[in-house]
Amino acid sequence: MAGPADLLPGTLEVLVLKALSLEPMHGWGIGQRLDQLSRDVFKVQQGSLYPALQRMLRKGWIRSEWRVTENRRRARYYLLTPRGRRRLETETASWNRTAAAVHGILRLKLADR
Amino acid sequence: MIADLFERLRALVFPGRWSRDLDEEMRFHLERETAARIAAGADPDTARREARLAFGGVDRYAEETRDANGVRPLEDLGADVRFALRALRRNAGFTATAAGVLALAIGATTAVFSVVHTVLIADLPYAQPDRLVRIYNQNSPTNIWALSVVDLQALRQETQIFASFGAARFTSVAMAGAGEPEQIPAARADAGFFTTLGVTAQTGRLITPQDEPPGAPAVAVVTDAFARERLGGPAAAVGRTLTLDGVPHTVVGVLPRGVAALAGMRVPVWPVLQLSPPTRRGPFGWRGIARLRSGVTLADARRELVSLSARIFPIWQSGFKDQAAHFTPVSLRRTIVGDADAQLELFAGAVVLVLLVAIANVATLVLVRASARAHELSVRATLGASRARLARLVATECLVLAGAATAVGLGLAALSLRLVGSLAPGLPRADEIAIDPPTVLVALALGAGSGLLIAVSPLAGVLRGSLTAWRGDLRRAGGGRRANAVRGLLVAGEFALAVPLLLAALLLANSFLRLERVDPGYDPSRGFSVALALPPSRYPDSALAGYWRRAVARAQEVPGVVAAGVTTSPPPDNGGDVNNFNLVSHPVPDGGAEPVAPWPVVSPGYFQAMGVPLVEGRMFTAADTGTGPQVLLVSRAWADHYFPHEPVLGQQLVSGGCYTCPRSVIVGVVGDVKYQGLSGNGEGVYTPLAQNPVRYATLYVRTTGAPEPFIRPVLAALRGLDPQMPLAALTLQEGLRQALADPGRWTGMLGAFAVVALGLSALGIFGLMSYVVRRQRREIGVRMALGAEPRQVAAMIVARGMRYVAVGTAAGLVLAFVEAGWLGALLYGVAPRDPGTMLAAIGVLLAAALVACGLPGIRAARIRPLEAISGE
Repeated sequence: MAGPADLLPGTLEVLVLKALSLEPMHGWGIGQRLDQLSRDVFKVQQGSLYPALQRMLRKGWIRSEWRVTENRRRARYYLLTPRGRRRLETETASWNRTAAAVHGILRLKLADR
Repeated sequence: MIADLFERLRALVFPGRWSRDLDEEMRFHLERETAARIAAGADPDTARREARLAFGGVDRYAEETRDANGVRPLEDLGADVRFALRALRRNAGFTATAAGVLALAIGATTAVFSVVHTVLIADLPYAQPDRLVRIYNQNSPTNIWALSVVDLQALRQETQIFASFGAARFTSVAMAGAGEPEQIPAARADAGFFTTLGVTAQTGRLITPQDEPPGAPAVAVVTDAFARERLGGPAAAVGRTLTLDGVPHTVVGVLPRGVAALAGMRVPVWPVLQLSPPTRRGPFGWRGIARLRSGVTLADARRELVSLSARIFPIWQSGFKDQAAHFTPVSLRRTIVGDADAQLELFAGAVVLVLLVAIANVATLVLVRASARAHELSVRATLGASRARLARLVATECLVLAGAATAVGLGLAALSLRLVGSLAPGLPRADEIAIDPPTVLVALALGAGSGLLIAVSPLAGVLRGSLTAWRGDLRRAGGGRRANAVRGLLVAGEFALAVPLLLAALLLANSFLRLERVDPGYDPSRGFSVALALPPSRYPDSALAGYWRRAVARAQEVPGVVAAGVTTSPPPDNGGDVNNFNLVSHPVPDGGAEPVAPWPVVSPGYFQAMGVPLVEGRMFTAADTGTGPQVLLVSRAWADHYFPHEPVLGQQLVSGGCYTCPRSVIVGVVGDVKYQGLSGNGEGVYTPLAQNPVRYATLYVRTTGAPEPFIRPVLAALRGLDPQMPLAALTLQEGLRQALADPGRWTGMLGAFAVVALGLSALGIFGLMSYVVRRQRREIGVRMALGAEPRQVAAMIVARGMRYVAVGTAAGLVLAFVEAGWLGALLYGVAPRDPGTMLAAIGVLLAAALVACGLPGIRAARIRPLEAISGE
């Protein structure tokens, strides 16, 4: 598994939540952080972040505000809401459960062989 | 949930700012990415290109983000509406007709709903109105009457079933102290009356129990409107003195703003009701209003009141003997609304029929237009518009049309509601009628409903997939058999609905004309009347008879006056007193209810003044005085009713349940006068004024010619007798006209509805047949080229149209038969299924339809074969 992997549906949102749980960020920053966190395993087109952010705004997981960057540019920053934090927790837990189960199944198959 | 709404709203309300923000955000992203790549060593151009590549399509993601903001469906709707408006504007004639017809129908329906809802359905404007009842005396299912002072005293002490009880008496007083002296309606009320209704004062106080004992300072409460018009505003009104029937009353309080009537009595002044201890059971004229305790039902109250009657009534039996009589509670709402419901229901039914006709009419218009637009729609379909999309376009157009019609209709309704007061002056609760939230809701529902109904058939056309057919042969587009059948059905439906309306209108008109020709029993051509009231302050009981005698004498002295007389019962609508009686030769069995009849108290000259003939026996004379034997005159109808086979002269009867009083003897029979409405019977029993002193009566004056020139001198003569007496004259003709005004108005309004429905139906068939002729121009041309006579062509078109009309009319007759049962109560002298009227209705309808079909028929006959065949 050398090349970049496609994202499972819905995963992008969890990753964004994770990125924002560290600190408020603008869209570009989120993209950079995702690359960094996934060590370039997941490769998403940077533009696809924005529809996802819009959907998450409507779900109330994040909110946005305009701030001035360290380079004195105006940029839209996204912040995790308490609701988004809870979402991240439940998603993380359910992801871990799923991953463990899938992992177990895959190992089982190997042992059978 | 809230975040979602907030985000959507932001994008919806500030779409420009929303887009600018998104642009700026993406631009920032690209700049940062480029800068990062330059920092990593790329040259600026490459960095910029690669940044874009990594972003992956700015426009695409901008669009996706826009889709994600949740307002897309709304924006599409906006586009549809704009498209619909354009399409409607392109076809202004169609739009104006359809929207106008719908607006009128929706406006009328909304207005009538508002009236019906307020008058018949909405709660009375009092706290817990369903607990309010009015108490009556009753001795048979149809005979109920008001309470006496004895009754009031008994009912005031009844606390088992009543949370509170109050009394009032509707009357008329001569008022001085607020402008010109004048006779005004008033209602005397006790403290309990206001507390029972739960009314409070706006300024000052209402009547309290301390005001009630006879001899306490006289006080009065006035309405807000009266205080503003006559007393300089509510604050200034309190403390003012009004002289009512000669007694100074201090105004102590003002009713809340907007309260014009209480418990159905619309009076400006509410003086205190002070009751002296009764000496006998009667007379009856007080209204008792009670609030039932919670948990007490009307049936409970009725039971309790019957047993209360059994305890009280025997005590007063010497003066009132009627073993069937007992108290009975009637819900206050029922007593106020009364018989307005039958007329209002008829009215509401008529309006709904008109609305349906209008909807069918507009639906036909839309259908015909949809066929005309088949070309446009088929082009759109060919260019790839989905069926759903086309359906949405068509539906939006219908809804936009209905929306505009609703807005205009609401305006029309608001306008017409302002006229309700003058169109139907007798309507109860008219002051409460307004465009309120339920009314607006109904208008919106009507608009949406009619929009959907109109959209049904064109939508069906689009969805059924006749689009493919449209693509093929444009000439036959929209002209399928099925579409024709739908149109024909709609037009037939219009006629079906118009039949019962037309029939009802003709029946009412017929009934009204008969009512107009009813002989009132007196000669209205040469005479006038003056209502007179003698206040107790200036006229003690002993002075009453003298005043009436002098008033008649003064009037008779005026040159040109032929005769003058007074009565307590002005015909034809004001029955005045009704009395119970028992025939000595044919007494009612024990436990039975005594019969009743109008009971005018008259002076000897009354019959001559009114032109009422003597049939048998003698008239009253000056010799019939209080000391002589009690004498009576009866009407011929009364005599025929009670003594069909015996001589009536000399018969004796007991009246008013007074079995210890001297018996009265019948000395004469006079012509029938209508006292209980023109549609009532002519029964009446007259007693002489000299034997029954009264305070309120009407003077009738018969003149040598038209009465107008004699009014002024007669009033002057009366003023010479008492300068303080308020005087107003009414000619007998005018009085008769007023009696006919209400039925006339109802007839007129229903007639207007019928004309509208008939007009719309005719318009419908005209539109349909015109369309048929236009579409079959070529075919007709071919026929004529092959030798068909123009006459035959015209006949063919007319016959085809009349087929729809015939089907509709037949269906309408079925509806009319159902309706008839309901109409009966409102008719006078004509049966609800009167064959002549039915034939007339059908005749009018067919004539209108013939004209409507004939015009397109003539147009068809004028088609020139060659032009029609070659010119496509």
